[in-house]
Amino acid sequence: MPPDATPQNGQYMVAAYVVTGAIYLLYALSLWIRARRALRGSDK
Amino acid sequence: MTSAIPGQSTIRRGLWLIVLSLIALAGIYVLALQHTPIEARQGLAQKIFYLHVPAAWSALLSFGLVGIVSVLYLWLQDPRLDLFAASSVEVGLVFSMVMLTTGPIWAKPIWGTWWTWDPRLTLTLLLFFIFVGYLSLRAALSDRSERARFSAVIGIMGLLLVPFIHLSVYLFRTMHPTPIVLKPSAPSLPPVMLRTVLLSFGVATLLYIAFVMVRYGMAIGQYTREEADDAT
Repeated sequence: MPPDATPQNGQYMVAAYVVTGAIYLLYALSLWIRARRALRGSDK
Repeated sequence: MTSAIPGQSTIRRGLWLIVLSLIALAGIYVLALQHTPIEARQGLAQKIFYLHVPAAWSALLSFGLVGIVSVLYLWLQDPRLDLFAASSVEVGLVFSMVMLTTGPIWAKPIWGTWWTWDPRLTLTLLLFFIFVGYLSLRAALSDRSERARFSAVIGIMGLLLVPFIHLSVYLFRTMHPTPIVLKPSAPSLPPVMLRTVLLSFGVATLLYIAFVMVRYGMAIGQYTREEADDAT
C-alpha cells in the first residue's frame, strides 16, 4: 500500500456500529420489559 | 381499575421518547456512513468517532449529574434525588459500555493495540467500576435512607473524577486525542463532519433523557409501593 493511501479498516467501523446498536437496543428492550411489568403492577 | 401510581406517565412518555431516539440514532447511522466523507489518514475507522465521542459525552453527563444530585440529596434529603441519581448511574453505565467498547475497536487499527494503560483510558475504566460498585452497594443495602446516603457519597466521589477525565489529555502524557469539539476554541473539524458529530451529540443526549425518564419512573413507582408496604 502506498504511504499516502487511505487505510482499509472498514471492518472495525462495522464492528463498532454493530456493537453500539446492540448495546442501545438491548438496554431499550430491557427497559421496555421492566416498564411493562411495572405498568402492569400499577394497573392491578 | 387503573390506579394513579407516581411515575406511570413518566414511563409512558419515556418509552415514546426511546422510540423517537432510536429512530434518530438510525438517522445518525445513515448520515455518518453515507453522507459524511471518509477521513484520509484514518480511513473508515474514523467514523467510529461519531458513536464514541457522543457516548462519552452522555456517560460523563450522567455521572456528572449523579454527583451534583448526590450533593443535593445530602443537603435536602429528598428521596426523589436519590432515585434520579440511581437511574442516571444505570444509564451512564450503558453509555460507558459503548464508550469502552468502541474506543478499543478504534484503537486497534489506529494505535495498533486494543488497549493501553493511558491516563484517560485508565481513569474512564476506574469511573466505570466506581459506578458498578455504586449499583452493587444499592443492591446490598435494604435500609432506604442508609442506601441513599452511602450511594450519594460514592456519587460525589465519581463526580470528582469527571473533570480529571476530561482534562487528563492536557494534564498527562497521553496517546488519547485531545478534544476537537468540546474545547474552549472553535471546533477543529470540517463543517460536514462537525454537523454529523453535533447531531450525534443531540441524539446521545436525547437517548440519555429517554432512558432516564423510564428508569426514574420505574424507580418512583417502586419506591411508592415500598412505602405503602411499610405503612401496612
